Amino acid sequence: MDIAAERIERLHELARAAATEDDHDRARYYVRLARRVAERNRLALPRKFRRFTCDRCDAYLRPGRNARVRLQDGHVVITCDCGAHARYPYGNDDGNDEASEREDDTP
Amino acid sequence: MALTPETLPRHELNGLPVRIVESDDDSRVGLEGRVVIETTNTLSIEIRENGDSRVVMVPKSGSTFEFAITDDAADAEKASGTASKLADTQPAATDDSSAAADRAGGDAAGCRGDDPSRDRRHAAGEGVAYVTVDGSRLLSRPARRTETSGDSPWQ
Ligand SMILES: [Zn+2]
Repeated sequence: MDIAAERIERLHELARAAATEDDHDRARYYVRLARRVAERNRLALPRKFRRFTCDRCDAYLRPGRNARVRLQDGHVVITCDCGAHARYPYGNDDGNDEASEREDDTP
Repeated sequence: MALTPETLPRHELNGLPVRIVESDDDSRVGLEGRVVIETTNTLSIEIRENGDSRVVMVPKSGSTFEFAITDDAADAEKASGTASKLADTQPAATDDSSAAADRAGGDAAGCRGDDPSRDRRHAAGEGVAYVTVDGSRLLSRPARRTETSGDSPWQ
């Protein structure tokens, strides 16, 4: 793991810690910095990072606090307080193309 | 490429405990806290004293910073009491990184003895290494600091 990937990991944790303390502006700053580092180093962001950040306002999402999570048939809809929706599939029946990425999905 | 004294100038500074050991402005010497925001020319340091916290913005140039590197960042987070849950999510593989850091730091001290202003390291207590870095080495946009290839100061 190179430095850029580690930085993203650290920034992810910092963003989560800041969001836990309801310091959402600081969490946004860490999320944006992590995105920038990933983009400059041509790295894919970790799946957990993608699922817990808002694409529109860069907020770090904490379900129940600043995000709503609803299950619809076959997919999750997560709604940020800014109004942006993100959808992703759940269930492992029909082989969706994200299945190959599962190994890094440790909880 | 863990966070070691060599890689620190290219690694993430946000979240690290830091102390100002030298500064052009005497009133900044001794400030101790945690880096919370980095810009091209400044570090914002959050200082927690008896209950309340304040954030001080310090120019990178003109100051010498001493960063504390622990076994893993989670330990530091836990010590500050901000987010103890982070400790559980840290991979166990980082446990031996402090030993590696100590070794690497020793090597660095050996081969870079001619430049006392950087990478001075002295261990204090278990698993903590202190890295002294001249602020001018950190002058860079936060996202781009990682990219300078190699760890040579001569770029
Ligand atoms: Zn949003």
